[in-house]
Amino acid sequence: MARESEIADRLRSFTSGGTVALRLGARDYADNYLAALGLTVRDLGGETNSHTIYVSVTNPASLVWSLLQALDIPSTRLSFVDAISHLMMSYQDTLPNASYVESPTMLEGIMLRIEYLLRRHPSQRNMVIIDSVNSLAVHNAPEVLSEFFHILVNNLKTRSVLTVLFSTSETEGTELDRILALVVDESFTLGGSS
Amino acid sequence: MVLVAGGVGTGKTTLCLEFLVRGAERGEKGLFISVTEASAKLMQNFSTFEFFHTDLVNNNLVTIVDLPIVYDRLGLNREELKPGEVDILVRTIQDLVRESGARRVVVDSLTSVGFRVRSEEKARDFILKLAQAFSELGTTSLMVAEVGAVPGVHSLYGVEEAIVDGVVMLSNVRRRGDMLRVLQIIKMRGTVHSRAQYVIELTPIGLLMAPFLKGGRLETA
Repeated sequence: MARESEIADRLRSFTSGGTVALRLGARDYADNYLAALGLTVRDLGGETNSHTIYVSVTNPASLVWSLLQALDIPSTRLSFVDAISHLMMSYQDTLPNASYVESPTMLEGIMLRIEYLLRRHPSQRNMVIIDSVNSLAVHNAPEVLSEFFHILVNNLKTRSVLTVLFSTSETEGTELDRILALVVDESFTLGGSS
Repeated sequence: MVLVAGGVGTGKTTLCLEFLVRGAERGEKGLFISVTEASAKLMQNFSTFEFFHTDLVNNNLVTIVDLPIVYDRLGLNREELKPGEVDILVRTIQDLVRESGARRVVVDSLTSVGFRVRSEEKARDFILKLAQAFSELGTTSLMVAEVGAVPGVHSLYGVEEAIVDGVVMLSNVRRRGDMLRVLQIIKMRGTVHSRAQYVIELTPIGLLMAPFLKGGRLETA
């Protein structure tokens, strides 16, 4: 827990925006994922004058939403950009606070929905969570993904938005790791590798 | 005068509507001349956008005119307009602009008017005269043109792009099966402008743009 609160404090210190990679260890991945949700959506996103935009590429927003509710994480200041439900044919369970992109390959669509939600929810502290960069890498070639991150992250940074990129610890030393290295200010790891 | 060219479903009408609404917000009255869609249906479509309020129409800040009704009132009931009738039509549009006090005008679309004048020669004549009329009135106007996905072609009659001050091209682009709406400014006289392509989204709060990512194979829809 000490590690989690340390990370939360560190994230809190990015008052004028920044980009952080949160690597989730493969061992006890589910626990690490829940811890990541806790320290981002609950600890930072629950603060006054904050709004979180959660980009779900791995699981449908409805699943993440139910998980947050089960964990008693207040999700009043939360919006979703769901880029996976259409592809997984689970578009029936739509959420009122979610904006749906037809495919994770529509990266510009993801950027535009984030832009839309930032304008809809102007707040002193905005946070964008991308869950996850690994899932985006499954659907997109490295060169277009690199371009996407470069444009998105730098745009958000100039607007003092904190961007948190969820990834698995297995990305270390891969092409994806090199892409992240170009855009990330700081990396943290939750849990250990398998 | 700026040509807004593009195929079906690319966002031309919405872009033009937002142009008028943003003008009205700055105190510049707008006139929307609809050739194909009835104003009642247009209003119904427009009401889905948060940036559009019916008060704008009720307070005459944005006026929507059905050109087919204007044709009827002028007695231009024939399928094909004669050369003299083209002049009458241009003068009538000029009068509509004066009466409404519009500083911003949209004609949606030139292509539909072109169908009534039939010959390319008369269509060119109409466009040229309309451009002169708007120039005299000092309005900023958007002319919608329906053009297919032919690279490098931004007009139907070959003259619009030369006459106008600007050309905004909207197109549907396919990338790996995804359909993207793309905007590109081809020409804008007297300004330094981007020539890059942007992916656009028509959101309730207005048109939003993001850079078109270069990766991936493209094909125009």
